[in-house]
Amino acid sequence: MDKAITVAALTVAYGAATALSAIDLEIPKGKVTVLAGPNGCGKSTLLRAIRRLHQPKSGEVRLGDLPISGLKEKELARHIGLLAQNPSAPDDMTVEELVRLGRYPHQSMLQPWSTADGEAIQAAMFGTGVSHLSDRRLGSLSGGQLQRVWIAMVLAQETDIICLDEPVNHLDMAHQIDCLDLVRRLNQEHGRTVVLVLHDLNLAARYADRLVFLKGGSVVAEGAPVELMSEQLIEDVFGISCRVITDPVHERPLCIPIRNSSPRFRAEQATQL
Amino acid sequence: MSSLAPRMSPALARIGRRAWIAVAVIAVVAVGLALCGIGFGSTWIDPRRIVEILLGEGTRGERVVVLQLRAPRVAIAVLAGGAMAVAGYLLQKVTRNELASPGVLGVIGGAGLGVVIFLALLSDESNALVTSIVWQPVAAMAGASVAISAVFLLSGQQASSAVRLLLFGIAVGAVAKAATLILMIVGPIYRTTQASRWLAGAVNEINWAEVQVVAIGLAIAMVGVVAVARRLPPTDLDEVSARGIGLNLPVFRILVFALASALTALAVAFAGGVGFIGLMAPHLARLIVGRPVMAGIVASFLLGAIMLVGADLIVRVLFAPTEVPAGTVTAVIGTPYFLYLVLRRGSTNG
Repeated sequence: MDKAITVAALTVAYGAATALSAIDLEIPKGKVTVLAGPNGCGKSTLLRAIRRLHQPKSGEVRLGDLPISGLKEKELARHIGLLAQNPSAPDDMTVEELVRLGRYPHQSMLQPWSTADGEAIQAAMFGTGVSHLSDRRLGSLSGGQLQRVWIAMVLAQETDIICLDEPVNHLDMAHQIDCLDLVRRLNQEHGRTVVLVLHDLNLAARYADRLVFLKGGSVVAEGAPVELMSEQLIEDVFGISCRVITDPVHERPLCIPIRNSSPRFRAEQATQL
Repeated sequence: MSSLAPRMSPALARIGRRAWIAVAVIAVVAVGLALCGIGFGSTWIDPRRIVEILLGEGTRGERVVVLQLRAPRVAIAVLAGGAMAVAGYLLQKVTRNELASPGVLGVIGGAGLGVVIFLALLSDESNALVTSIVWQPVAAMAGASVAISAVFLLSGQQASSAVRLLLFGIAVGAVAKAATLILMIVGPIYRTTQASRWLAGAVNEINWAEVQVVAIGLAIAMVGVVAVARRLPPTDLDEVSARGIGLNLPVFRILVFALASALTALAVAFAGGVGFIGLMAPHLARLIVGRPVMAGIVASFLLGAIMLVGADLIVRVLFAPTEVPAGTVTAVIGTPYFLYLVLRRGSTNG
């Protein structure tokens, strides 16, 4: 298994609070890896640390064999693209303008523009199906369209690795599927390595090649969804008793939550009764 | 998908073209107003005649009036108004906040304090400076840098939160103004009346040496502005997304703040604390030329110049022969505008 990113003994802290403790993880090349776990488990922090948005307290993240701490800002942006959790841009910006920003790390004082930039922008808009929106203002788009445009911007960056931090949070069910189908197509057709943070366990199981469970700032388990989606493990990680069946359409594991089984929650319930 | 991808789509190219046409129109207005600014005074001089005099014709009397008395005053108004407007444009862009401006962020107050301390320490009893005038913008820059650094340090971890920056900016600006006032009342400044008028923003009594200092300083600063302008587009995004495409926004922001401080200091050093141009000119520029960055910067400069030349012209028309500082006009117009912006934000942001 070729690895795109290696996380080695990575510890990240916010002030005194440790968010991630001594994480070791390998992100396989050309696969979709989904980071999942309960609120506050550190999955978004891990994604952000991979993209060097957090300075590690100790340990390091390596891109191939290169520690990312040694890369220049633009260099890193040519290797790893990032779709932020709540990205924002001015309402009066046009779709094309936003997608063009994806070329920023490829441009310099000496080379402000190349035909490769133009081709990347057109390809990104075509690939995400937003070419027809190119002259529209961002403020006039629907939530689903807007998310596609942001993905187009990240795509125009032409990075081997794409990180997406809870990309379907604000979308309705149709657009969630739409967005994740798009992400998987980018992975399959263009061979991009994708790292996703997803809240919804069933979406995670459906789209992941590789699933990583985090809890309390540590990696609890990792593997293919079929291996990881056991009723016991889900109860341990998410604090929920559940049944796991096989999704009859996609033949992926599907979790049916029954009740909150975390000790504290049970205790609260008991006192209320 | 064509293999020969154009630099930008026709629509985006059109937006850019329109922006530069608008800039050209503004430039024509600016030149016209500058000629009026030179022409107006105790005797009216026809704009066409002014051009002739500027090109080397005219009687000795005309040449003295135009070249020695009036032109430097208009020139400093153009440069100072333009510099403050560009500073405002940069600040608004990099904080993603339309309320940001050199005045609101305390930079004007800091620069003013720097100059007053400079005058207090380095002028003798006959009101003459004991050192070169070149150091006056340096003092202003030092004051401006201290002010903006204080605003940054006080905002601390939340320096990226624009609201905090503005609140501390207003506070630091107020402290600087109070300190300035105390210095002028009890300090060893022998030109207190001049100093107070200068602080309010007055462009009279300017000579070519001072214009030269500002022009050279501005030329240097503009090199920085052009270098920074190329990196401005990603600042339209949130901090995480900007990082994602390779711009370290917190670091870049400090660079832009330093540049904006320098621009403001240059303006304040000789034109005084002219408020609100750095707020209004960039707004107007964006309204007219839209989003393109370079056109926006040039338009801001020209509109800032128009505003200060215009304000100076207004006080000369209304109050002649009394010299009222031009800054009073920009304040009278700017304050209600600022309140309008605050109230409008209040109503939309809850």
